[in-house]
Amino acid sequence: MSVEVKAELVGSVWKITSKPGDQVAEEDVLLILESMKMEIAVTAPRAGTVKEIRVKETDVVKEGQVLVVLE
Amino acid sequence: MGDDYPARISDLKGRRTKNLAMGGEEKIKKQHDRGKLTVRERLDLLFDKESFVELGLLAHQQPVRGGESDPDGTPADGVVTGHGLVDGRQVWVIAYDFTVMAGSMGAVGEQFKAARVRELALRYRKPIVWLLDSAGARIQEAAGSTFAGTGFLFADQVVMSGVIPQVAAMLGPCSAGTAYIPGLSDFVPMVKETSSMSLGGARLVKAATGEDVTDHDMGGSQVHCYESGVGDNEVAGDRECIETVRRFLSYLPSSNTEAAPFVESADPADRAVEGLEKIVPVSPRAAYDVRRVIKAVFDQDSWFEIKPTWAKNIVIGLARAAGHAVGVVANQPMQKGGILDSDAADKAARFIRMCDAFNVPLVYLVDVPGFLVGSQVEKEGIIRHGAKMLYATAEATVPKVTIIMRKAYGAGYYVMCGKGYEPDVLVAWPLAEISVMGPEGAVNIIFNKQIEASSDPEATRAQMIEAIRAQINPYLAAGWAMIDDVIDPAETRRVIVRGIEQASDKRIDRPWRKHGNIPV
Repeated sequence: MSVEVKAELVGSVWKITSKPGDQVAEEDVLLILESMKMEIAVTAPRAGTVKEIRVKETDVVKEGQVLVVLE
Repeated sequence: MGDDYPARISDLKGRRTKNLAMGGEEKIKKQHDRGKLTVRERLDLLFDKESFVELGLLAHQQPVRGGESDPDGTPADGVVTGHGLVDGRQVWVIAYDFTVMAGSMGAVGEQFKAARVRELALRYRKPIVWLLDSAGARIQEAAGSTFAGTGFLFADQVVMSGVIPQVAAMLGPCSAGTAYIPGLSDFVPMVKETSSMSLGGARLVKAATGEDVTDHDMGGSQVHCYESGVGDNEVAGDRECIETVRRFLSYLPSSNTEAAPFVESADPADRAVEGLEKIVPVSPRAAYDVRRVIKAVFDQDSWFEIKPTWAKNIVIGLARAAGHAVGVVANQPMQKGGILDSDAADKAARFIRMCDAFNVPLVYLVDVPGFLVGSQVEKEGIIRHGAKMLYATAEATVPKVTIIMRKAYGAGYYVMCGKGYEPDVLVAWPLAEISVMGPEGAVNIIFNKQIEASSDPEATRAQMIEAIRAQINPYLAAGWAMIDDVIDPAETRRVIVRGIEQASDKRIDRPWRKHGNIPV
């Protein structure tokens, strides 16, 4: 079953720290958003494999936008 | 048996025994099978040993408007009421008994028993605890236009608000007739799986709107402690729930006319706080868990977090500073960068007002990039919600200590008890950045033309950012004596304790008014 990891708030994609195929544990950092000059880590809600990264660095994202899909 | 004293006493004993047996063995077994304790087991856990004094044990259902009644089948009319001691202090209780007509609120239980507890708790200025496990109003007694004569309980709760602490412990269902009890209470722990609350129960919802939903899916702790913010702390079971109630009460006075309780602490007031430099990164952009700072600063094992699973970008809770009860308000950089949004402001405002009402000093640990901006939050009404936190902080007249750990930006600085909000002590760590906004944002606004005109705009921008960054360190503010001091983070605990003690005779008189008009 796949899990969509969404942006908690509006911001831009500062750094992508995972790639498709990566095995991740719960709480592992997938990418880092920047909002209000803060680095906001987006972490895996549970263990799995990164299936898809739907954004690229510098993209502006909205609250609720899907960033990463885990499997 | 003759009619003499022994016979009369024996008759009394029989009546008591019968009502103490609640709804009978079968109903008690069902209650246990659901993973719940009985109302009397819960009271044993809530109160110090053998301190419970019951009022209204011999009550039972009465015929209403000539209808049927079942005096034998309704011990205590489904609600156990009285008072007992919690850590030696008197506390009143209204505890619904699910084994008797599903804990439904009948005319006797509500209009006489619960009403008497509310009256006496307020008369004596003692806290009131509801143990909620109730199907709501007993419809067979409440249907009809005599409903016109009901509704006193919520009005009573409003009168008691800010006078005596009110706790609603959610130990089972709580819908319709009872759901505003937690809505008006100061603290609402919820048992995972077995408790729920909703304005209308599942059957009423089906009839009213056609929606098919269970009480649990609609109003369990997974909704109220994570999404709605109506519940405060999700707990694993009845025992943990009642332990949590006792713990909560330990930080509060019995009423607004008393000081918050002081307990002797083995943790020295002057203890240097070691290791903060390993928790809080120097880079203002980097995240960390502010709860580690709180645990390091306050008395060992004294931290009691409230609403830990909702609006996690702000952390609130009760703690002790060298034995003094305090309310802590801390930004949480680990969640949404600690940026304030509508729910965070709402959560903090309500907590600040509770502490102020009950004479609990406030400690603000500041590391805030500001309020979230943009179209999404404007639609949510962030100005209205943010204003609640401004209002609550400005209104509070308890001792207030503000520690600027790192960022103090914009209105975020104000709501975290900046200079204009009557802090008794206002200090900053050497890492602090105090400014209307971050240097990057400020440069874009102030020097936009110069940057555009420059032959090397990026170099000019970087230069300007550094120039502004040099002015946001705390020494400019300290040089103006706008803040009281810049402190070594290791001194944080001592500064907090001394600040609270310095302000123990604090008195602020406001102009007379009926009441303010807090933005809700």
